[in-house]
Amino acid sequence: MEPVEQQIRSDSNATETSSEQSEASAPASPVRTERRQKPRAWETPPAPVPPPRLDDYKSIVGEADIDELKFLARDLKGKKVKMVNSTAVGGGVAEMLNQMVPLLRELDVETHWDVITGGNDFFEVTKAFHNALQGSDYKLTQHARDIFLMHNDQNRNRIDFSEDFIVIHDPQPAALIRAQKESNQHWIWRCHIDLSSPNPEVWAFLRPFVEKYDAAIFSSQSFARQLPIPQYLFYPCIDPLSEKNKELEDSFVQHVCDEFGVDRSRPIVTQVSRFDRAKDPVGVVQAFKQARKYVDCQLVLAGGGASDDPEGAAVLKEVKDAVGADPDIIILDLPPWCALEINALQRASTIIVQKSIREGFGLTVTEALWKGKPTIAGAVGGIPNQIIHKLTGALVHSVDGCAYQIRYLLTHPAFAQQLGHNGHEHVKENFLMSTNVRRWLLLLRILLAGGAK
Amino acid sequence: MTTATAGISSLTRTPVKPFYFNTSAHLLRITPQKATALGEFLDALRECPEGSIFQHTFRTLQEHHFIREGFSNDFAHWAVSACNEPSLAEGLASVDVREFMTVADLRARFIEIVADFLKRSPAAATRPARETFYFCAAESVVIPANFVARTLKEFAEGLRGVSLHSIHHHFIEARLRLKLMSNDFSQWLYEDMGLTEAARQLNRIDIYTMTLEDVRNRIVRIVERSLI
Repeated sequence: MEPVEQQIRSDSNATETSSEQSEASAPASPVRTERRQKPRAWETPPAPVPPPRLDDYKSIVGEADIDELKFLARDLKGKKVKMVNSTAVGGGVAEMLNQMVPLLRELDVETHWDVITGGNDFFEVTKAFHNALQGSDYKLTQHARDIFLMHNDQNRNRIDFSEDFIVIHDPQPAALIRAQKESNQHWIWRCHIDLSSPNPEVWAFLRPFVEKYDAAIFSSQSFARQLPIPQYLFYPCIDPLSEKNKELEDSFVQHVCDEFGVDRSRPIVTQVSRFDRAKDPVGVVQAFKQARKYVDCQLVLAGGGASDDPEGAAVLKEVKDAVGADPDIIILDLPPWCALEINALQRASTIIVQKSIREGFGLTVTEALWKGKPTIAGAVGGIPNQIIHKLTGALVHSVDGCAYQIRYLLTHPAFAQQLGHNGHEHVKENFLMSTNVRRWLLLLRILLAGGAK
Repeated sequence: MTTATAGISSLTRTPVKPFYFNTSAHLLRITPQKATALGEFLDALRECPEGSIFQHTFRTLQEHHFIREGFSNDFAHWAVSACNEPSLAEGLASVDVREFMTVADLRARFIEIVADFLKRSPAAATRPARETFYFCAAESVVIPANFVARTLKEFAEGLRGVSLHSIHHHFIEARLRLKLMSNDFSQWLYEDMGLTEAARQLNRIDIYTMTLEDVRNRIVRIVERSLI
């Protein structure tokens, strides 16, 4: 298995030169825990976990909040909702719908979920649109327009749109709005991507479709466009009961650290991200090395994507070059089913870093904050929505800034703990699944009352 | 002592009318107003819907209810973090929402502070901010909470049991509804229970130096003292 091989390579690099490195630049370190050659996490994907029920959230947000959801849902009883997106598995939108749809149904809001179909040609075009709408260069051709419209029309004819509320997720199915009838139906466009600087040609092509919706939803104020329809702000959310975020026994956290050779007796700085230049993993290594001149710590870079993505593999190589033979840096290229292990590594961490230089909303930041970890993150994308500098975390703009914040937080544990506490509360208030259920119920009620028309 | 006298009678006193706990849920609408410099910010303050002023002052206190110090409203936070104007931020942060019974008056106060600052520092009007300020507006729905108080004891139980959103709804947002320098809890204690001192003590709680959970605990303690 490729990930295991990469782990072994990292290990052997680290082992070969660990003694000379620790003498050269790092403070004296306790003996490192032995790493197993094949951690359990990489062997097989675990069985899927059934989505939580509404009452499961009571222990997290309180009974009163769940009662509020039930009240908000009352006026929607008997109403039907259809969610439409482009993929049933993989990706944040499908993950969110897998959790959201059962919760809405449990509240007696009859919610259906349809996935559009299309050939490779369609998904190549929509992937190009996706990147272009987030600022990449792209030349829109008539052929691409035709493919986009043809597949949208095929799905329009295939899918039944008789529900009271139709929610279309992202640009791929945006042209389904042409199924809108003159009726009391409400059409909502849920845009999960950053439209702040779109490719003008692609946006000019899609905009007339978007303008026909009754409302649009964006994940951050800064992602929105000036549109003649009401626009709402729905932050992305995490599920506190998911494998990636649920509470863990400390013995399991210890077990994972032992497997990966992470020493819990020393401060742990962690970045969890796929190996992508936008996440600046090399910058994290540089910041860590600067900070470690003054404070003893180890760095864990836990990510994925290097085994199935050529660019990811190139970035991983850059990271390894930057790490050199440093024994205090542990690189983990994990397969996508390692949610529990990621959770454990985050919980074992003293500080979590997300030094992105480009970012969507940054749900890894949300996960870190939820675990009460003092978090240092780049001030990009949706991260400033989550991190209020010096109140819920630390925002940084450079390697030097990141290094300073690592040093500061490691040497001021009471302040770091306060940031962690505030961050956790901030997520509880704004970025949990139950909060998003509330937002959906509110929006549907507002539309039903004619508020957004 | 006033408290003791009121306390003895309050055990058996029946209020003129029960206290129905409510809460409010808010959805954020993204408005067209945004500011990349303080001059634009002043224009947007004048043009934005009242829901925006409410959102960035009253509501943001609720959203950041867990912060004990250093956060007053979104305008002040932006002035210091994005515009690096601490004196302006100090002026904006000192605006206490409890002193305003209408959003129009609150808006006028913010406009006055920013306009005065720009008069003194005209160059700041066009200096680019580090981050854009996006005006959002809250659309609100009032929801009944599952608590009704027919006695002071039930009132204390309700205070302990409702969500923090409900505390914010009755204790902070209420003055916009009441058009009084007071809150729903104090009004009920005063008008329906005759507990003048407790009502007064509630009105003296400083919402800017404690978390909303601290505020709830303080209210409960004052009400429980009236029960003794």
